[in-house]
Amino acid sequence: MARTGSSNRHDDKRNASGSAFKLSRPVGVGHAIAHHGELLQGVFEGQDGRLHRGLLTLPLPSQRSHATFWPRREAGIRTRPANRTKAARAVAFTFEHLGIAEGGGDLTLESTIAIGHGYGSSTADVVAAIRATACASGVGLRRSTTCTLAVAAEGATDAIVYGDQAVLFAQREGFIIEHFGDEFPPLLIVGFKDPDANPIDTLSLECARYDAEEIELFRVLRALACRSIRQQDPWLLGRVATMSSRISQRHLPKPRWQAAVELAQDSHSCGIQVAHSGTLLGILLDAEAPGASTHAADLVGSVRRAGFADVQSFALNAEGMMVE
Amino acid sequence: MSGEGDYLRAFETPRFAQLAPNLIAASFSLMKLLPARFMVDRAQASGRLKRGGRIVETTSGTFGLAIAMVSAVRGYKLTLITASTLTEPKFTRRLERLGATVLTIDDPLGDGNQRGRLDRLKQILGANPDIYWPEQYDSPENRLAYARLVDLVVRSFGQIDCLVGCVGTGGSLCGTGAFLRALFPDLRIVAVDTHRSMLFGQPVGRRMLRGLGNSILPANVQHDMIDEIHWVGALPAYAMAHALVRDNGIFAGPTSGAAALVASWFARNNPETTTLVIMPDEGHRYIDTVYNDEWLGTLSGWPCPIPLAPVQLERILPGEETSWTTFAWRRRTLCAVLAEQDE
Repeated sequence: MARTGSSNRHDDKRNASGSAFKLSRPVGVGHAIAHHGELLQGVFEGQDGRLHRGLLTLPLPSQRSHATFWPRREAGIRTRPANRTKAARAVAFTFEHLGIAEGGGDLTLESTIAIGHGYGSSTADVVAAIRATACASGVGLRRSTTCTLAVAAEGATDAIVYGDQAVLFAQREGFIIEHFGDEFPPLLIVGFKDPDANPIDTLSLECARYDAEEIELFRVLRALACRSIRQQDPWLLGRVATMSSRISQRHLPKPRWQAAVELAQDSHSCGIQVAHSGTLLGILLDAEAPGASTHAADLVGSVRRAGFADVQSFALNAEGMMVE
Repeated sequence: MSGEGDYLRAFETPRFAQLAPNLIAASFSLMKLLPARFMVDRAQASGRLKRGGRIVETTSGTFGLAIAMVSAVRGYKLTLITASTLTEPKFTRRLERLGATVLTIDDPLGDGNQRGRLDRLKQILGANPDIYWPEQYDSPENRLAYARLVDLVVRSFGQIDCLVGCVGTGGSLCGTGAFLRALFPDLRIVAVDTHRSMLFGQPVGRRMLRGLGNSILPANVQHDMIDEIHWVGALPAYAMAHALVRDNGIFAGPTSGAAALVASWFARNNPETTTLVIMPDEGHRYIDTVYNDEWLGTLSGWPCPIPLAPVQLERILPGEETSWTTFAWRRRTLCAVLAEQDE
């Protein structure tokens, strides 16, 4: 249920100040970005001393889901495309959180994000829907609240609510395990997927069961991720991603991972990352290294020649133009 | 509960000292708290250790102190088995003050009688299988505990190119080394032992430097991780421990002196690399010996100048307590090295 810690507070506020949230707008819009899998995924010790499943998402800001929401004063949420039940549930939970009893309306989702390959299409729809609902209600939501609502609607979420901030995020619980405290280092990413890989229903996947050694390895990978972000060092972050993808091979192996590693080794790259529960792979380059965009363009060619599909290059927190 | 956890966690956390521009020391008050707490945490979580249960271990050193602290705070009973030649009354008093039962086994041969201690331990376990034995020599959990050290090092210093540390159980060097090498595959691992320890192929004999080396071979020593091995005699180790106090204000045990001796030499000769050295404990236990001029004056060879470089060995042989030797191990197994030595 979306009964969150702060919903009672909103109930109180509504009772005290009348129908503050009933001044809805005729329409609300929201959007959310895609991601290109993760730089790190595993289990991590939280402030409470317990282990939590967590991840460091690699944002893909050029692909987005846009949600538009028209509130109506009657129950029921219709979606277009039809049957986007998670996004509809997210709208309902958002209304419930805001203390709006009779919330209903029409939700339109327009997305450029491919479904089922680990780009986070479903989460982006859910987050965009929450944002559009809040916008229509004339309310701003904290990112942490948006995450809680998304987990309630979907069972799990990812860190795209935080855009290009680098956070270690507990995807099944919807909270931040560690703020790495800054934006990502400057990266060029050549992303692709295995053409023979089938789309994956992320949420139906069984959770990886990590052994004690892997859990301790995640501790040191988290430390190196923190260092790389504090120092804006793409090379250290590349090592984190490569090792995380290597561990992932033991749990949800990608058939052509080794071929991708070999391409990465020949290409001035910092490392390789994967969608741990998807089919994507990405080779990371230091965007500020001399000739980086030429190297990325060369790499796009060699990745295509190696038979990978959906090859694209994108920049994260980098200046200048991409060479295609 | 969280209060005690925070205290032990702070106590097991090293202070970092920059001994040279390219040399970082992780200087511990009591390094063995890392594996002691990690192992007890895991034994609790898995149900191997019941509430109010008993722990037993054979130790004459700082692992005993560490597990005695954890046991006291968590309400476990503890039996420590040591040998008559290894007991120090002041140290035993401290263990007993923490609530530990210290059993002392005769040691007719003067080699620490590890076999006799293990026989006694197994007798105790046989009579009560619920007792938890951490097995610091052989349990892989000893090595896994050092991820926490690597966590702290990496957050503060990033890439490390060379790791230097003493070997006794192998837990700290092989644990820290494995996690660092997972992040930095080119990491060089330099082991520090002492003459007449059997860990790296020397014949066993009487050893003057305590706290490193061994007369049995623990499973936690993973020889094929080690790039080079150094054997440091007691006197250069003492001299270097004195230098750490004088030059850096670091009051550490003699094993830290041995490790710092090797690490300083390595860092001087490899100015482009960043070296990390592990310094496992403080000097309080050695105030009447290593830090006592009267006691030192009774040793032949003292005062001992700090050697500038080790003697390179082609064949593995024990040295004098005044000497420092090294051998290119090159990530081989003990069997492989011994077979080559027999040729």
